[in-house]
Amino acid sequence: MVNPSEYWNPKNETMPREELRALQHVKLKRLCEWAYAKCEFHRRRWEAAGFHPDQLRTLDDLRRIPFMTRAEWMDAQAEAPPFGPLLAVPPASAIRYHTTSGTTGRTPLRVLDGAKDWEWIAEMWGYGLWGFGLRPHDIVLFAFSYGTFIGFWGAHYACEKIGCLVLSTGSATTESRVKSLLDMGVTTVCSTPTYALRMWQAAAEMGIDLARHTAVNKVIVSGEPAGSIPAVKRQLETAWGAKVGDTAGMTEIGSIMVFECSRQPGGTHIIEDHFIEETLEYDGDRVVPYGERAERVVTSFGRGFIPLIRYRTNDLVVKIPYTSCDCGRTGDLYQGGIQGRWDDMKLVRGTNIYPRAVESIVRECAAVDEFQILLTREGVTDEICILVELKPGREEHWDTLSRRLHVDLADAHEGLRFKVEQAAANVLPRFELKAKRLVDKRPAADYST
Amino acid sequence: MIDRDLLGRPVTATESQLFEIYAELKGLAGRVDLPPCAERNVKKALACMWQVVNDLDLEFEQLYDLGV
Repeated sequence: MVNPSEYWNPKNETMPREELRALQHVKLKRLCEWAYAKCEFHRRRWEAAGFHPDQLRTLDDLRRIPFMTRAEWMDAQAEAPPFGPLLAVPPASAIRYHTTSGTTGRTPLRVLDGAKDWEWIAEMWGYGLWGFGLRPHDIVLFAFSYGTFIGFWGAHYACEKIGCLVLSTGSATTESRVKSLLDMGVTTVCSTPTYALRMWQAAAEMGIDLARHTAVNKVIVSGEPAGSIPAVKRQLETAWGAKVGDTAGMTEIGSIMVFECSRQPGGTHIIEDHFIEETLEYDGDRVVPYGERAERVVTSFGRGFIPLIRYRTNDLVVKIPYTSCDCGRTGDLYQGGIQGRWDDMKLVRGTNIYPRAVESIVRECAAVDEFQILLTREGVTDEICILVELKPGREEHWDTLSRRLHVDLADAHEGLRFKVEQAAANVLPRFELKAKRLVDKRPAADYST
Repeated sequence: MIDRDLLGRPVTATESQLFEIYAELKGLAGRVDLPPCAERNVKKALACMWQVVNDLDLEFEQLYDLGV
């Protein structure tokens, strides 16, 4: 018999918020004591800042702890490769090695996990997958490469833990994955939003209508902000004939920290018994109230190997109270999931451009197959051009579509003029992980003369 | 045996039973006389039970000294 609970952990997922804060305080104090005793990286920085774990008398004392940044992490790795003084435990105790995806071109961060950390990583996915409705009878296909990038590793083990049948299609082609959907009666697919669109396109070319010909009723997406963009979600839900659930995590944590529950309230619940998620002004320390754009700063209680305490993520979020969802969970939400990266923002003729905001408009046009945002400089003027590939057979829609994009993009960007150009079929790059659809070809500023 | 969780709330009989299993596994994981088949599976089981006591707010500690 399937467990009837709607929650993976009913005790904590519905816990009154005052108790949740008390729990976070207990865990924070223990984690900091551990980090101070065992992790040279933290001890050194904390002593320099005059912080000691004894000062954590209430949860608000969290603000005494200095922030941790990716730059510091990378510097520490470079100081004593391969891991630097971040490890609280000798490497021989680890069972897993993973890295960040490296899609930004920067040196990847390297992480190690012990046995209980690795189980915990799956455990966090358990909160999310169970919360979105996965149950032991589900057959789950992972469209994931299973390399050192941590991606869906934790989700794979969470599905095993739940009791699902897991199909790990590591090196399979897209066509082979589509065929597996049919052959194995797959009910759930885990992939990036971009790759879920790619599978749909490949299926169409094979004469397969995913919504009609497969048993897929859930698509779990992660790795890109697009999973919570309404236009992308609608497109995916129509294409697959399935519910699309967004999740978000990061290698520095090893797992997900937010997930969309089965009620799909337009946001993702924070797993607050395992994380403290502060929402602060970007690069500052002012607490940002509910409903306003902020930077995520995370403390994770899960990985003791490399304690992650007050880590500045650069993620752009809008926190809203738990009452925004009627599922009964008391974890607050991020409206629209992770909305992007603060450093994704580009300035074009004085107007802020966020790739996700552009995508949310472009994807409203069902005829769009793929697109790219191209920034150039013509003379002294910055130009922004949206290159659009249409779906096969939709060419006659171009005039209407391009006019609509001109108007909608300008309306959403203080009247900024966008060029909209049609690209030939299959010219624009396709992505399996972390799509990069913005190309900035503007020369760097030269102050040498 | 425990009768209070991390927040000082009374624990249920089931929670107490789960904690006892965790404590038992911790004891076994510290032993050096087990054959590999027992030693490694005990550690794996302890890694799983750590999730239970952590999720249910019964204990929050690190286990690296036990190789977990």
